[in-house]
Amino acid sequence: MYDTFIGLEIHIQLLTKTKVFCGCSNNYGDEPNTNVCPVCLGYPGTLPILNTDALFMAYQVVGALKCKRAEAAIFERKNYFYPDMPKNYQISQFADPVGINGEVIFPFQGEEHRVRIHDVHLEEDAGKMIHAGDMSLLDYNRAGTPLLEIVTEPDLRSGEETEAFLRYFRTLVRTIGVSRGNMEEGNLRCDANISINTHGAGLGTKVELKNINSSRFVRLALEYEKERQIGIVEAGGSVDQETRLWNENKDITVVMRRKEESKDYRYFPEPDLPPYRPGEDFFRRVVESLPELPLDRQKRMEAAFSLTDEQASYLCEEKARADYFETAVAAGTEAQHLYFWMSGDLAALVNKSGTPLEESRLSPEKLATVLRLLDNGEIHGPIAKKMVALLFEEEHDPEGLIAERGWKALDDTSKILPVVKRAVDANPSAAEQLKQGETKVLGFFMGQVMKETGGRADPETAKALITSYVKGEIV
Amino acid sequence: MPFAVKDNIAVKGLPLSCGSKMLDTLSSPYSATAVEKLQQAGAVVVGKTNLDEFGMGSSCDNSALGTTNNPWDVARVAGGSSGGSAAVVAAGMVPFALGSDTGGSIRQPAAFCGTYGLKPSYGVVSRFGLVAYASSLETIGIISLDTQLLRIVFDTMRGQDPKDQSSRPFSPKASEKRQGEKPRIGVIADIEGLAPAMESAYRERLDLIRKKGYEIVEIELPMLEYVVPAYYTIASAEASANLARYAGIRYGHRTDWADEHGELTEKSRDEGFGDEVKLRILLGTYVLRSGFKDQYYLRAQKIRTLLRNEILSAFQKVDQILSPVFPTTAFPHGDAGLDQFQQKLADKFTATANLAAIPALAFPAGQSEGLPFGLQLLGPEFSEHKLIDTASAFTELWEPKTAPGFREWR
Repeated sequence: MYDTFIGLEIHIQLLTKTKVFCGCSNNYGDEPNTNVCPVCLGYPGTLPILNTDALFMAYQVVGALKCKRAEAAIFERKNYFYPDMPKNYQISQFADPVGINGEVIFPFQGEEHRVRIHDVHLEEDAGKMIHAGDMSLLDYNRAGTPLLEIVTEPDLRSGEETEAFLRYFRTLVRTIGVSRGNMEEGNLRCDANISINTHGAGLGTKVELKNINSSRFVRLALEYEKERQIGIVEAGGSVDQETRLWNENKDITVVMRRKEESKDYRYFPEPDLPPYRPGEDFFRRVVESLPELPLDRQKRMEAAFSLTDEQASYLCEEKARADYFETAVAAGTEAQHLYFWMSGDLAALVNKSGTPLEESRLSPEKLATVLRLLDNGEIHGPIAKKMVALLFEEEHDPEGLIAERGWKALDDTSKILPVVKRAVDANPSAAEQLKQGETKVLGFFMGQVMKETGGRADPETAKALITSYVKGEIV
Repeated sequence: MPFAVKDNIAVKGLPLSCGSKMLDTLSSPYSATAVEKLQQAGAVVVGKTNLDEFGMGSSCDNSALGTTNNPWDVARVAGGSSGGSAAVVAAGMVPFALGSDTGGSIRQPAAFCGTYGLKPSYGVVSRFGLVAYASSLETIGIISLDTQLLRIVFDTMRGQDPKDQSSRPFSPKASEKRQGEKPRIGVIADIEGLAPAMESAYRERLDLIRKKGYEIVEIELPMLEYVVPAYYTIASAEASANLARYAGIRYGHRTDWADEHGELTEKSRDEGFGDEVKLRILLGTYVLRSGFKDQYYLRAQKIRTLLRNEILSAFQKVDQILSPVFPTTAFPHGDAGLDQFQQKLADKFTATANLAAIPALAFPAGQSEGLPFGLQLLGPEFSEHKLIDTASAFTELWEPKTAPGFREWR
């Protein structure tokens, strides 16, 4: 038997308005080289100025990961040459990161797992080099945008567990609101390290994996690498300490550089940025700004609203979703009923329109009203569906809408019966079939009735009337 | 009022060559804060001045762009690295010029050319727009023949700058001395390494000052011996990172042909930098290597702290420290002068102020063998005004003289 040890180095792009050391817009999707200035292009004589919003977000993550925070932000220069890095050193942190010794508790296969955090440090991102034919093009819009690196201890045991951890980590940073946390968009990136060893023997020889650009690739690359390393050991060999790249076309890892080629970054304190002490007031604001962590909220909501693990997990995956749920419950909606609508119709509308839940016109209060009207029997299911879809897109008052469109439920037998009679009389052969016991024809008549009443007829009443009329029980 | 600016300080639309082939085509897209403040006060930039490449040198002969001669004797160097600024002031072309001082680069050329040269306390004048050589040591300063102008320019330029996070507010201590009371002056006991003529000139000046009623006290600065190695270790380490940006990618010299970006950077740097710059980059890279960092870079930082403590305790006993600027007067161009290694050893009196982050003022103290002879005053942080007062009071002690052919700018 073998033990597997997996650790991650996660980079998240912070959602600040401006870059971390200059006033340029933090918007790297724009026309290339438009969000640049002498500072982020590394012009001679320019100096960095720390963006305290970026530092605030860094300390929010430090708090959420339960790290010991540094009282001063101390930056160092990490020296290496690359064309996308304007100064050919990266302003980063080394000896004194903003946070150390934290932990993340995350759900995996119905249990709570723990990953220790080694450190959290703030740094600047590089630009982007794009190869086009025989040319290399450089876009520096991303150069100098704030990055937060989170380094875990090797506490993960499988590709599957790592994938679950990353999914939770994404929810965590989105819940705090510091990053979009999307691996496919590159605002959450991660490198992994993995080693295997015979059971109980402790850490093995570490291999670093790069170029894993989605959580699925993380799982696949780690599972591949685990099997590769076990294969080497089983065959009597030993694993080389090296950095390997995930090849997503071939689903394998290949050597990028060996240990002896590892770089010496020659860190030293950044003389342009003296230690910055944010002070007690700043740290108090950080603590006050932190929302309830997703797993805590999930557990609380499970208990408070009698939700299943899966239901609460779905709701807490996005802070906006959980907020929506709790607001609607507070407005008087029954929890299971609400969950049914949120995970069904509402989720479909969000998917179809691309409009995030919190930006739709359908406020949780309005949804609560629609569901109350449904519960009271003032409208029927099909109308409720129609209303939800309409209110998602357009601004209306739900009760006004019912009056305006004449959507009020039709329960009155005297009003439904004439419609039933017209439908049955117009379709004598279908009526005969139903009379003979072919109940599927009932659906056809229901369709006719609903069509004519605009979906307002009470379904149970309509069904009963159709059956009775066909059988001649009423005339 | 016209002024000249050393060509490692940014003035929008003007060159920013840093005396290097690497940047000789660069036009600065912005202006240094210090320059902007002077312009707002009505001063006008009339030209950029020569320097040793990126400020690395004590002669101005390390410039890739041209030679600067000493107005007193054109066969001799103007000193460096702010040699161009000292030469234009000494020749009377401008009333003042900006320079930068990393280890003596304002004071040594000021002494060689017979002018005043003020290196302010670290962080008092914004470094925004000063092309970085050794960020933790350097500052923009002033060269002039007029102490009153020196004071006005300093007061105009200084101030904390939101564009420079290492800048500090100017906060001098209220003087314990009464107006007009003479400062107690410390001198280094057992001073070593001066050229014989310099040593006798130095002793004579001390006697003159003493006779004028100043109290002179001998002080011990044992750490002085370690100033040069500590200074070059720190300066080179910072330079190795500061000069990494010159890679032929975004601006500056780019080689004619390379097959890939690594080669492009290597060839551009090889062609663009001079030997002294390469030497310091290599040295700086070496002292920061893992496994060597403790032995060199971190040890140099410890020396820096010890030196600073030693200086601080000296200022418990004396108000100001008087010392030579350089062991020689202006030396001849080329092989007849000092070699690069001798020039480095000679930085110990000046680099002390940079390591300790304190202000220092070089002032003309007559001549020695027909060439300008300069001394310097060091004071505690933010004592710039007092240093100027003392140097102004000394002017009556020796005959002021200007360079041959001096014609005032007006």
